Amino acid sequence: MTSSDDDRFGRFADLEADLRALGEALEVPAPPPADVARAVRTRLAEPVVRVRRAPRRLTALVAVFLVALIAVTPQGRAAVVTMLRFAGVEISVGGPGPLPTGVPRPLPDERRVTLDEARQAARFPIAMPSALGDPSDIRIADGGRVVTLLWPGLRLDEFDGTLEVVFRKDLGEPWPLQVSGVNGWWIRQPHAVSYVPRHGGAPREERVAGPTLIWQRDTGDVNVGMRLECEDYQEALRIARSVR
Amino acid sequence: MDDDEAVTRSLAGDLDAYEVLVTRYSMVAHRTASFLGAGDEAEDVVQEAFVKAFRHLAGFRRDAAFKPWLLRIVANETHNLTRSRGRRADLTLRLESEPGRARGPYEPEDPEGVALATDSRTRLLDAVRTLPEREREAVTCRYLLQLSEAETAEVLGVRLGTVKSRTFRGLRRLREEVGRDLLG
Repeated sequence: MTSSDDDRFGRFADLEADLRALGEALEVPAPPPADVARAVRTRLAEPVVRVRRAPRRLTALVAVFLVALIAVTPQGRAAVVTMLRFAGVEISVGGPGPLPTGVPRPLPDERRVTLDEARQAARFPIAMPSALGDPSDIRIADGGRVVTLLWPGLRLDEFDGTLEVVFRKDLGEPWPLQVSGVNGWWIRQPHAVSYVPRHGGAPREERVAGPTLIWQRDTGDVNVGMRLECEDYQEALRIARSVR
Repeated sequence: MDDDEAVTRSLAGDLDAYEVLVTRYSMVAHRTASFLGAGDEAEDVVQEAFVKAFRHLAGFRRDAAFKPWLLRIVANETHNLTRSRGRRADLTLRLESEPGRARGPYEPEDPEGVALATDSRTRLLDAVRTLPEREREAVTCRYLLQLSEAETAEVLGVRLGTVKSRTFRGLRRLREEVGRDLLG
């Protein structure tokens, strides 16, 4: 803390002390820590379920997109499926992967909007990459949960995401590249993308996406998941870093 | 076993080591969830946060501290909960020295002193409850949970300067609300 901060907060020293005392006097009912540890352990020891359950109350916002990488599993070797959840994206590595039927279907309730309309209807602040000009097309879908910005050859999806990286250790191949500069992952190979609707249900809109950068923006209130389909890694990074 | 070793072993799949971390931070996790508005669902939030933390452990920066990283997940879970229920995150808290409750070991014995202390704390708690959400979160982390500014920034996912300014505005508002007569 700088000295000017000390001066600024010094006026409130008594209030700060009262607040600390208040915190100590507040009663928080909590089970014994050993019980919490046991309950957590029981849940962690449960087998990993490959198929997502219907979203539970607490996890409803977690998995927005289900990205399944088409496996390059050597013939005759048992496929080891690894799930990676990050910024509202769930990535399965090493499984057989769905066979995309090829014809892209729109997201639920997808409609074309202006940027202003999108800003009003989206459930999070929309970010624009300053490295690109105005998008040629803007779509919003599923009750403002996903906003898609399109430029020729580029697609940027912004959606409700969460903070944490999920990681399972049984790695299959190929594994996405972690990108520390933007706190994200680069998927270099073509892969199938499915959309998991807000109210649960089967994933839909399976299609093949090209190389994609997935990262997360922290707006202070909401963690916004971002996925940018872009052929070139350096270009994708440049665009991601220009997002404001 | 320190946090770093427990994290290393947990990453290798050692659930005993992770139990050490859960036991160590269970109480502060419950306090965080509760103070940030999880109410009587704090237990669910905390359990979910610990499960998520384990599954996301690989994303934890090893040069960082475990506690604020964990508490950020707790804060996010709490936020998701309150948002999904469309209700304002509220402090549903009780003071230990409310009437009818047993007296704590360090509280003054004279009934008048107890009543005065309880009254001023109740007023202060009410004032914290009515703060705008962002200021309330900053004040809650900094003082009720006694986190540092840097920890608060990490838990709330905002910059350090933002923590300073929200805390300052919150304190200023509290001072206006509870009045100088109460706080001297």
